[in-house]
Amino acid sequence: MKERLTLAGGRLLLIAVWGVAWEAAAQSGALPRGLIGQPSEFLLDFIELVVDGTFPKAAVITLEAVFIAFVLGAVLALLTALLMTAFPTAERLAAPIIDALNALPRVALIPLFILWFGIGMEQKVASGVSIMYFVLLSYTMAGAKSTDPDHLRLARSLAIPRWRVFVEIIVPSALPAIFAGLRLGMIYTVLGVITAELIAGGKGLGTLVSYYSNTFNPNGVFATLIALVLITTALTAAMSRIERSIAKWHAPIAV
Amino acid sequence: MGSESAPEGIDIRGLSHAYGRGDESVEALSNLNLEIPAGQFVSLVGASGCGKTTLLDILSGLLNVQTGAVRLAGRPPRAGRRDTARMFARDALMPWKSAFGNVDFALATRIGDAAERTPQVEQLLKSVGLGDFKHALPAELSQGMRQRVALARTFSLRSRFVMLDEPFGALDALTKINLQDQLVELWEQVSASTVVLVTHDLAEAAALSDRVIVMSPRPGRIVADVPIDLPRPRNVRALHATDGFQKLVAGLWETLDAAS
Repeated sequence: MKERLTLAGGRLLLIAVWGVAWEAAAQSGALPRGLIGQPSEFLLDFIELVVDGTFPKAAVITLEAVFIAFVLGAVLALLTALLMTAFPTAERLAAPIIDALNALPRVALIPLFILWFGIGMEQKVASGVSIMYFVLLSYTMAGAKSTDPDHLRLARSLAIPRWRVFVEIIVPSALPAIFAGLRLGMIYTVLGVITAELIAGGKGLGTLVSYYSNTFNPNGVFATLIALVLITTALTAAMSRIERSIAKWHAPIAV
Repeated sequence: MGSESAPEGIDIRGLSHAYGRGDESVEALSNLNLEIPAGQFVSLVGASGCGKTTLLDILSGLLNVQTGAVRLAGRPPRAGRRDTARMFARDALMPWKSAFGNVDFALATRIGDAAERTPQVEQLLKSVGLGDFKHALPAELSQGMRQRVALARTFSLRSRFVMLDEPFGALDALTKINLQDQLVELWEQVSASTVVLVTHDLAEAAALSDRVIVMSPRPGRIVADVPIDLPRPRNVRALHATDGFQKLVAGLWETLDAAS
């Protein structure tokens, strides 16, 4: 407990030192204030934009796309993993193709998504899904393969039917990796959606970033970044909490 | 099948087994013949590479018979035979199931009614000294306690044939002797099965078995078949203190040395 407090204090100190140095650099003119922004300013901007409803409204729009993309990507990835575990031939067939698609920089697909879906919600979701799906799929497949061979041998020696082996052994074995994939996938879904907003516009937080940047307002950009950091941190913390309540036997896998 | 001399036990005739193909194949077992009468506790000992785990895998049906004939109570081995139980070298407990859940998982393959199983599982956990730990997850138990759960799981099946693969290999000396006593007790009281134990601990083999089979490595062959005429019921800890037991173990060492 004491150690945790010391660590938390140390982190606050680190951020404070950084903020003060930043503030000093901006005020003294050592670095151009118009480019690097100024902590005292963008913290106030942040509060103001929260209070006047700009951030909450934009966050709801962004989070709606994030949520849909996250759920859709997760469901599709888990279904694919289910198929690939049930039919190993399908996995051997598809694995190199999936790896190649996963290696593709998904940002490059956004213009295509805009062409297909317009500049609304659909293309943001498509961008999020295109990342979330592959992240979770690769984690889930790695997790399914991490099943202890002794557990499978035990199941064989007990004549446990295949579907029960899947439900009672393979799925729990894969759960820690699935959660790691969900946590990482959550962050990447936000990335996918924000990028789509940066490129296509709209009313989300990503659009605000590009708006403030285009109007030479670094403080506005930093205020929006604070909002984004708080949102993604809250989302992953929520994921970790769910994980701890379900996969109690396993320490979370770091991602 | 009238010619078999161990009709209710284990009968192994001319068993050979090789891994790999062609020039790279390694012969793990060579022309093995062994009869184990029903109810006997037999240990397989030998240096690593003598094929003792291969033999155990074949008896459990986890490996197919390549050459020769193997019969358990007159029938060929098969994974999932209801009269066979297998215990693995590492505990193979499922970390997401409690001690109770791990034993129950196995027993559920024999008894469908959960209400009927529960008192049996609880009794078994109590008999291995884990009555207060039924809700504990494997990660919350010591290695010795986990092996106790694995023992309870194995013997919960009350199988005619029990295959044990170095169940106490990873334990410290004291815990090991305690668990050996636990095993003897389970075997003598819960189910008087035919047991095949693979071990490289000669004292363990002598203390637990009716008979010790000494094998030589590459390819695995039986080089000695040593009867252990110690009275039962046995107490492993007390046995260790006797001269006769120490001589017996020393004799096994000599046999093993001569074999390798």
